Amino acid sequence: MSIQFKSITELRAMLDDKSISSSELIQESLQLAKKYKELNCFVTMNEKISVKKASSIDLNEKTNSTLSGIPLAQKDLFCTEGLRTTCSSKILSNFIPPYTATAVEKLEDAGSITIGKTNMDEFAMGSSNETSFFGNVHNPWKKGYVPGGSSGGSAAAVSAGIVPAATGTDTGGSIRQPAAHCGITGLKPTYGRVSRWGMIAFASSLDQAGPLARTAEDCAILLNAMSGHDSKDTTSLNSNVPDFLENINQPIDGLKIGIIKEFDISDLDTDVQACFEDSKKNYESLGAQFVEVSLPNISASVPTYYSIAPAECSSNLSRFDGVRFGHRAENTNDLNDLYIKSRSEGFGDEVKRRILIGTYALSAGYYDAYYKKAQQVRRLIKNDFDDVFKSVDLLMTPTSPNTAFKFGSKGTQNPVELYLEDLFTISSNLAGLPAISIPHGQVNSLPVGLQLIGNFLREDQLLNASHIFQKNSDFHLAKPNLEDF
Amino acid sequence: MSWETVIGLETHVQLSTKTKLFSRASTSFGASPNTNVNLIDCGLPGVLPSVNKEAFYKAIRFGMAINAQINQTSIFDRKNYFYADLPKGYQITQMDLPIVLGGSIDIHAEESAKTINITRAHLEEDAGKSIHDEFDGFSAIDLNRAGTPLLEIVSEPEMSSAKEAVAYMKAMHQLVTYLDVSDGNMAQGSLRCDANVSIRKRGDKELGTRTEIKNINSFKFIEKAINFEIKRQIKILESGEKVIQETRLYDSSKDETRPMRSKEFANDYRYFPEPDLLPVIISDEEIQKIKDEFPELPREKEARYQSDLGLSAYDAQIIASSKTMADFFDTAVKKTKNYSLLSNWLIGEISAYLNKEQIEINESKLSADKVATLINRIDDQTISGKIGKSIFEEMCLSGASPDEIIESKGLKQISDDGAIEDIINDVIKDNPTQVEAYIGGKEKLFGFFVGQVMKITQGKANPKAVNRILKDKLK
Amino acid sequence: MDQETVRTICYLARLEIDEEKSEKIQNDLETIIELIGSLQNIDTSDTEPLFSPLEMTAFKHEDIENSDNRKDKFLENAAASNEDYFLVPRVVE
Repeated sequence: MSIQFKSITELRAMLDDKSISSSELIQESLQLAKKYKELNCFVTMNEKISVKKASSIDLNEKTNSTLSGIPLAQKDLFCTEGLRTTCSSKILSNFIPPYTATAVEKLEDAGSITIGKTNMDEFAMGSSNETSFFGNVHNPWKKGYVPGGSSGGSAAAVSAGIVPAATGTDTGGSIRQPAAHCGITGLKPTYGRVSRWGMIAFASSLDQAGPLARTAEDCAILLNAMSGHDSKDTTSLNSNVPDFLENINQPIDGLKIGIIKEFDISDLDTDVQACFEDSKKNYESLGAQFVEVSLPNISASVPTYYSIAPAECSSNLSRFDGVRFGHRAENTNDLNDLYIKSRSEGFGDEVKRRILIGTYALSAGYYDAYYKKAQQVRRLIKNDFDDVFKSVDLLMTPTSPNTAFKFGSKGTQNPVELYLEDLFTISSNLAGLPAISIPHGQVNSLPVGLQLIGNFLREDQLLNASHIFQKNSDFHLAKPNLEDF
Repeated sequence: MSWETVIGLETHVQLSTKTKLFSRASTSFGASPNTNVNLIDCGLPGVLPSVNKEAFYKAIRFGMAINAQINQTSIFDRKNYFYADLPKGYQITQMDLPIVLGGSIDIHAEESAKTINITRAHLEEDAGKSIHDEFDGFSAIDLNRAGTPLLEIVSEPEMSSAKEAVAYMKAMHQLVTYLDVSDGNMAQGSLRCDANVSIRKRGDKELGTRTEIKNINSFKFIEKAINFEIKRQIKILESGEKVIQETRLYDSSKDETRPMRSKEFANDYRYFPEPDLLPVIISDEEIQKIKDEFPELPREKEARYQSDLGLSAYDAQIIASSKTMADFFDTAVKKTKNYSLLSNWLIGEISAYLNKEQIEINESKLSADKVATLINRIDDQTISGKIGKSIFEEMCLSGASPDEIIESKGLKQISDDGAIEDIINDVIKDNPTQVEAYIGGKEKLFGFFVGQVMKITQGKANPKAVNRILKDKLK
Repeated sequence: MDQETVRTICYLARLEIDEEKSEKIQNDLETIIELIGSLQNIDTSDTEPLFSPLEMTAFKHEDIENSDNRKDKFLENAAASNEDYFLVPRVVE
């Protein structure tokens, strides 16, 4: 029986009833990765070690961990000791970290097996996975179409059924938007829920790691393992981590869902609109109530984000200077020449663009007007969220204004065009709130995603509402036709 | 024309914590290159800082000692610039909200006292070290120092001579060592300063254009570098030219300052709040604990030495002026009752020896225990003061205890009257001419007899007893 | 944003832009700056900046050493090093 497209829950059952061994499972997962090499999901495979781990799990029969022996893929910005970590960049194309990110370590401690590192937008900067030094990732649903980004490789690998789940990171929508475009479920937890130790930083105050999986239930399984306080990350929350599976099946009778007035759905593609309206009805039939709410400052999310994220990134990426690790240019005259050449050769255009914007926003005379101003607006946006969560449990929006698009069709003339793709996702990063994307239909055979935003630390409500939706619909069960790959 | 000098100092004090400001790697001095370095200090991708409690406590202790305002909420900022020994491409420092604000330090220069106001003191991480001369065509980077906690103390521009600047640094040295905030070792870079120097016409309100002399790490060089810079600037101004605002380095081998080449590009540090560190709060309880554990400061020590131990004001001041000396004295005092003899020795013989060797007392072979024993042996007349000096010399060389030296060299004083009397009888018998002359009124000859007795006893005879018995015999 | 500003920003960021791309980059930057500039219309006069979504404070670690010397691993990742040091082109101070 093929393991392709199986959820963690299903694979667990197969492992437990011995219809498959962990070794067979890992071998098959690795085979699938090879078979769909053309998708370009992976930058680096971890074949030898994952095979070894699987056989040791088979020998050590006793396990009570759901994730034991389950193959996972890690976004290539989580440091993995001894395993190349590139951030899909040229500058780190030969970087072998001497340590492992806490999130990955926790997943591996729970018994899961990392079969490889997934392709992404370079340093997570992009919404289409087109900025990777290692080439575009195809959307499993349609060759030549983007999988979304920046966690495009992770989303495509799960969507193609190579692995049941993968890690991603989300700075402005980088888990949710590719999950939507690839027809899977992706969760961005509350800022601070998952340790950022070992996650190569893009924008420190916005970055958050989370799971991409076939179902909300599988996301809960991963989140259970990934979450928790880490003394190595002072921005990690010291709050109790609930068991996210425990209440996932609760009825959602009386759940209050807010629809954001400022997001004018009528501007969108009519089919995308139709999916949204259907899901509303679906939720109503499950007992949820809808109310229109106003977040007066939410429209400022995009400019706010594109001031803060580049500013933080411009500083975070200064350590890539060719001195202690990473690409170093040859034939340089002096230290400055070494910096300039190594960085200019090592970074792609989008990364350079964002570093320059950030440098500008922080430079003398502009700090108040751009960076500080954006952080003030950020507070206004957060205050808006605080207000509406007094009267609703969740907010519902489309994940993305449209479905996946063709390679090269957006943002090449005007980068802002691509930035507007993030309209619905980035406000939750600014406010640090958890949000999830679940598939809820298709337009022209391409998946459409539905976003739910939860209150601070209320991943449990998001997962509950998503799971109940998935129990009562089959959008998440749709599989791409991979004949072209 | 009459010129006036204005000097402000930025002092960098390496805090004597065991571990770094944002990592738990060791700060020990002299470790093999790049071994006191962990993932954080190396600035690897994905690492995050966390703050060292003790560094805050030390900074606060300093702030309390100079009567400054303590900011209990600390926010860190990133100062962005590229340099080979700055691993992350930014330094984590405090820009808007320094932990210490205001305060002042009293200095004594050329017999006059002056109070220098402190603008602020903030916590920041030190950079690594670049070694430029050892490898052909390369600079070598050692990150051992990277991340060591620094307290940068900024003075108001209130000093008007190189001597005052030196006095300020001496006061700073005394303070930070007393507070156990830093080991104050200037040769190892634990205490160093940047001097901002400008010249203006006497009476002018506006400050002149300043230059900044970077990284001066000895009292001697502070004086020389500033004096050179003052002369240089006055020469420029007198020829009608303008001083250029720039960063300069002091070259001690040539005794001159020169512009620093690596700083030729105007920088824009793009400060912004460090997003990897949330605000650090020091609670009222923590503040109280720091107060409760506050160490005794020089003035308090001076007063105690006078009132409790009966030392003269002069002796008390000299001993209390150096933390290492005062610590030594405080330990020795517990082992002897003759405080004044102890303080005489510390200020006399011991200080002379330390000056000659250019070392601190804790770098010598002397221990407080052994010095107290020496004082006790003189006090209980086991040895004479003179023998004490030769024992002291031996102690400095070998580190042996006074009792060992007395024993092995047989230096114990002869105080037994009978033994001394026998020797005196011999001397009188052997020198009849001198005895006759003495009795005839040539009293100066008394010294001759004492000398003879000492010669025979190799200096070990108790001089008081010798005098007493001789006088008696020669009546 | 003029060419001179672009050059200054590039220098601060230690990046250089190819000649043929420089006009495009300048245009891109202008477009993005215009986007960010739209924030000026929002009144934030009474608003404190929100630098982190977490309104909590950092814990402090104890001053206890916990270092593992991994010099060799660190130097291994460097493009130029000898047995003790990272190496860069000679710097004249």
